[in-house]
Amino acid sequence: MDMAVIAISLAVFMLLMLALGVWVSLALFGVGVMGLFLSGNEQIGLLFATSTWGSSTSWSLTALPLFIWMGEILFRTRLSEDLFKGLSPWLSGLPGKLLHVNVLSCGIFAAVSGSSAATAATIGRMTLPELKAQGYSDKMAVGTLAGSGTLGLLIPPSIILIVYGVAAEVSIGRLFIAGALPGLLLVTLFMGYTVCWALLNKDELPKHDKSHVSFAAKVKALRLLLPILGLIGFVLGSIYGGLTTPTEAAALGVVGALFLAGVTGSLNKSSFVESLTGAVKSSCMIGMILAGAHFLTLAMGFLGIPRALAEWIGHMSLSPGVLLIYLTFLFVALGCFLDGISVVVLTVAVVLPMVQQAGIDLLWFGIYIVLVVEMSQITPPVGFNLFVIQSLTGKDILYVARAALPFFLLILFAVVLIYLFPEIVTYLPTSMSQR
Amino acid sequence: MRSLLDKLYLASGYLSGFCIVLITLIITAQIVGRLFGFIVPSAEDFSGYALAASTFFGLAYTFRQGGHIRVTLVIQHWTRGSRYIQELMVLIFGLLLVGFMSFYAVHMVWESYIFEEVSSGYVSVPIWMPQVPVALGILMLNIAILDDVIAMLRRHTPSYKAHEGEIHLEEI
Repeated sequence: MDMAVIAISLAVFMLLMLALGVWVSLALFGVGVMGLFLSGNEQIGLLFATSTWGSSTSWSLTALPLFIWMGEILFRTRLSEDLFKGLSPWLSGLPGKLLHVNVLSCGIFAAVSGSSAATAATIGRMTLPELKAQGYSDKMAVGTLAGSGTLGLLIPPSIILIVYGVAAEVSIGRLFIAGALPGLLLVTLFMGYTVCWALLNKDELPKHDKSHVSFAAKVKALRLLLPILGLIGFVLGSIYGGLTTPTEAAALGVVGALFLAGVTGSLNKSSFVESLTGAVKSSCMIGMILAGAHFLTLAMGFLGIPRALAEWIGHMSLSPGVLLIYLTFLFVALGCFLDGISVVVLTVAVVLPMVQQAGIDLLWFGIYIVLVVEMSQITPPVGFNLFVIQSLTGKDILYVARAALPFFLLILFAVVLIYLFPEIVTYLPTSMSQR
Repeated sequence: MRSLLDKLYLASGYLSGFCIVLITLIITAQIVGRLFGFIVPSAEDFSGYALAASTFFGLAYTFRQGGHIRVTLVIQHWTRGSRYIQELMVLIFGLLLVGFMSFYAVHMVWESYIFEEVSSGYVSVPIWMPQVPVALGILMLNIAILDDVIAMLRRHTPSYKAHEGEIHLEEI
């Protein structure tokens, strides 16, 4: 059969299965089986077994359940409350005041959590009621939370960077280091926008502010931040200092998170079991999707589809910039009905050879793809951050999406910035030692 | 029968969780070992095996809890009748595919056993041993799907749908 016909029928088969509600992991395996069948392979079952065994025992993937578990433990502590109380005295001088707490505490929590939904949920359940009580604009409170929640994806540790690193065979340690500056860039953009917005919309902020906070009180508040900053230093510091691999840092993170939960009294038998079964559900789901994606990549390789696509792109001699514009549209469109991880694994199976052909650095591409996935987290109809905030506030999803729109545009702006100045991504990994 | 099956699914979840704890312990031991100058032999291999065991043991539990993600955007507004046919089709497709997968997973364990394959690391482990959880896990998933096919045929709501409206933290 002609390869174009095979490729198109596989794509149609995939879309049909996904649309009919087949579980993403099973759909990946199903398309893999069909692809191998169409290529005339007679060892489908054996290939399935060896590929699945190989991909699910990989050492770098062991960081995944550990970072997820760490997030689940911290979600059940008083950390978000401490963040709020510790940060707010310091931000009362900035235009926009407590709105910045949303951005900063999401940014800080993102440095111990790997997912954007966990970040938005942990921070939002503390900040949203408080901001509302003090009379801040609802729309801006929801928007800042939706936007900064996505920082969980980019600021290391990041589940999606682990998934990309494993699928694209890029060092996870280097990806984690590369994510730091773009993460700070986003925090700066979000806070800058909030300042501008606050200067232009003074009437939507609380009229009278609290009395001036004394410096002593500020320093006292800072004490509340010590535990989480210590944990960040402990986990990220050991990766950045080249002392441990990401997997070892994740194990340290779990130990540290259990310690914090134990000290603050939020660790008991039921919270321990809940955090563990929560981690089981997510890491099992992601592990199975990765095994499916690995099998599908193998099938695609047998069919030669990625190579053909790469050659085709080579013949068209697209510039990297134009290719990236097309890919951004493709990812945002895919992200409208798929979650971030599925977008990444599907892409890696087909798009990476094409990206390499165009001369794009795979490390840079990982950060780029995470930024684009961040955008898709806050676009309807499927955006998990929107779902989380919808359930926190009871506002409908379109309202949340409209409130998040400025932040969508800011992330898009960040994508343009890292395209124009790739050093934002590559500077740290090339200048830091990493074992 | 019902309570036996439910215990099986719960065991699936707990075994998987136990393996995550095991990974944490192995890796922590490795770090502590490096500080005090002892080596945990083949720590990378063992944590990889525990990872595979955790992923596959947990399949049935995660399936029952609605943890495996899927796209509900298209199907969510269908009428009851067409939803019934769609769910049944999806479940039967899943049953066939996972049946195929479990056959070859068991086959893999059998071949590793017959050919006496061992791991190439510092400690050589007969490779069939860590492969057993993979085969068992897929078999348990098979049972869980069959359970829901039967539930559907009896016009009950399949287990995973009860949880599908919930917001999970794990949705990245």
